[in-house]
Amino acid sequence: MSAHTVSMRDALYEAPGPKTRRRTRIITGISLVLVAIGVGLIVRQFYVTGQLDAKCWSFFLRQGTWRYLFNGFLGTMRVAATAGVISLVLGVVFMLGRTSGIKPLEVISRVIIDFFRGVPSLLLIYFFYLALPQYGLRISAFWMITLPVALAASGVLAEVFRAGVNAVPKGQTEAALSIGLTPGKTMFKIILPQALRIVVPSLISQLVVVVKDTTVAYVVSYPDLMQNARVLITNNDALVQVYFVVAILYILVNYGINQLSIYMARRSGNPIISRTTENPT
Amino acid sequence: MSAEIPVIELRNVDKHYGPLHVLQHINLSVGKGEVLVLIGPSGSGKSTLCRTINRLETIDSGEILIEGQPLPQEGKELAQMRAEIGMVFQSFNLFAHKTILDNVTLGPREVLKMPKDAAEKEAMELLTRVGVDAQAHKVPAQLSGGQQQRVAIARSLAMHPKAMLFDEPTSALDPEMINEVLDVMVELAREGMTMVVVTHEMNFARRVSNRVVFMADGQIVEEGTPSEFFDNPQTARAKEFLDSIRGH
Ligand SMILES: Nc1ncnc2c1ncn2[C@@H]1O[C@H](COP(=O)(O)OP(=O)(O)O)[C@@H](O)[C@H]1O
Ligand SMILES: [Mg+2]
Repeated sequence: MSAHTVSMRDALYEAPGPKTRRRTRIITGISLVLVAIGVGLIVRQFYVTGQLDAKCWSFFLRQGTWRYLFNGFLGTMRVAATAGVISLVLGVVFMLGRTSGIKPLEVISRVIIDFFRGVPSLLLIYFFYLALPQYGLRISAFWMITLPVALAASGVLAEVFRAGVNAVPKGQTEAALSIGLTPGKTMFKIILPQALRIVVPSLISQLVVVVKDTTVAYVVSYPDLMQNARVLITNNDALVQVYFVVAILYILVNYGINQLSIYMARRSGNPIISRTTENPT
Repeated sequence: MSAEIPVIELRNVDKHYGPLHVLQHINLSVGKGEVLVLIGPSGSGKSTLCRTINRLETIDSGEILIEGQPLPQEGKELAQMRAEIGMVFQSFNLFAHKTILDNVTLGPREVLKMPKDAAEKEAMELLTRVGVDAQAHKVPAQLSGGQQQRVAIARSLAMHPKAMLFDEPTSALDPEMINEVLDVMVELAREGMTMVVVTHEMNFARRVSNRVVFMADGQIVEEGTPSEFFDNPQTARAKEFLDSIRGH
């Protein structure tokens, strides 16, 4: 017997037979027609209402417009990246607390996790924006948007990490302890690295949520992509056009994040799921 | 051998899993260089007994001594003691995200604080000894079960253990790979390693063990030399069990 690796795709789907292939072709054809009709209707409506007129788009020819949008884009990236990093670190910290085996620490971590998971991030933003200054705590607009977004994500990430840690077979811990690693080293050298690989897909979805969460930055007047877009809209009276471009930018960013995750999954793609490492009963 | 302090000693050990009295008044001692085979029906507590010796399982009462010293309960002392007792599992439990070489060097580097070069040199010697040096840079999932188990033995040996515990090391293997693992264990026994082996491999037991201990329902029911036990079992439970594994 050679150790053999099971890819997710093979495990979930069998290879399509001739009937399935024909059905797939028919469904694909129908879908394409429906999409074409939908797009056609939208374009027609825009055309009729004059949204496609050149004068409605001409301000995109100005360099200033793009510079302004780009600055907003940078703002969004700064918030998203900082919030992403903070939430990853806090997520691990909360997860470690939650699984520490020390009762008071477990309870506290659990309350924190459930709180940040349960409270909408907009509410957290209002807290930082409206409540904190009343107690004399002044932080910049950047942190007023970044911290709430990070905290909200950290609660979810803690649970994601915990699921990953639980998914690592128990035998890994036992083997690590039996060669004399302390429980702490066992966690950091053996369990967490494997748990991280398991949860990469969930981490990526959460990163996308973080990027989307930053769009409420206008509440604290932080100049992110969304806030700058609103300014452009008011100045140029071009709601459809600006939001169209902005939506494409957001989609590109999140598409980029997804591509990055696929690349990372390939790079760290040791075939670690194997028949021979499963625990026999 | 009897004059020396035993490497492993259990005195009046009891353990429960809820209502299940899984270890009942266990008294056992393993001398230096001794190879003890633990045998018995499934569910009789053999794995549990093995695992209490390096405290992967705690005990309710009684004492466990390693070279006369009580087993530490926690912290650095416990980790240190675990490092001195090798353990080989039924399901190999190689670190799935590390290469074979890193599996073997991890303990020496992290616990014994050996420099990388020295640890790798010794690891390669051990891997050569168990015959998997050619696979050093693969990950565990790329190896056969027999190869993985030999790596697991090398990983334990890298810590220079005082004794080694084997919990059914060949039970998860395809038949044609059992002997390649047993051969490594026979060689270890010949070199004087102190070993506790849970196994149903009678030929192995006859070739290398000094003593066979038969467990049933959490108790040590019978013990003796391999020929005494296999050829002339004293208790009805042992006879019944031997008949069952011989396929009568
Ligand atoms: N973690 C556990 N919790 C509860 N019961 C357990 C646990 N581990 C083992 N047992 C029970 O203890 C008994 C002995 O198990 P084990 O030591 O694995 O037996 P053996 O290795 O001889 O087959 C079995 O009845 C088993 O179901
Ligand atoms: Mg067992």
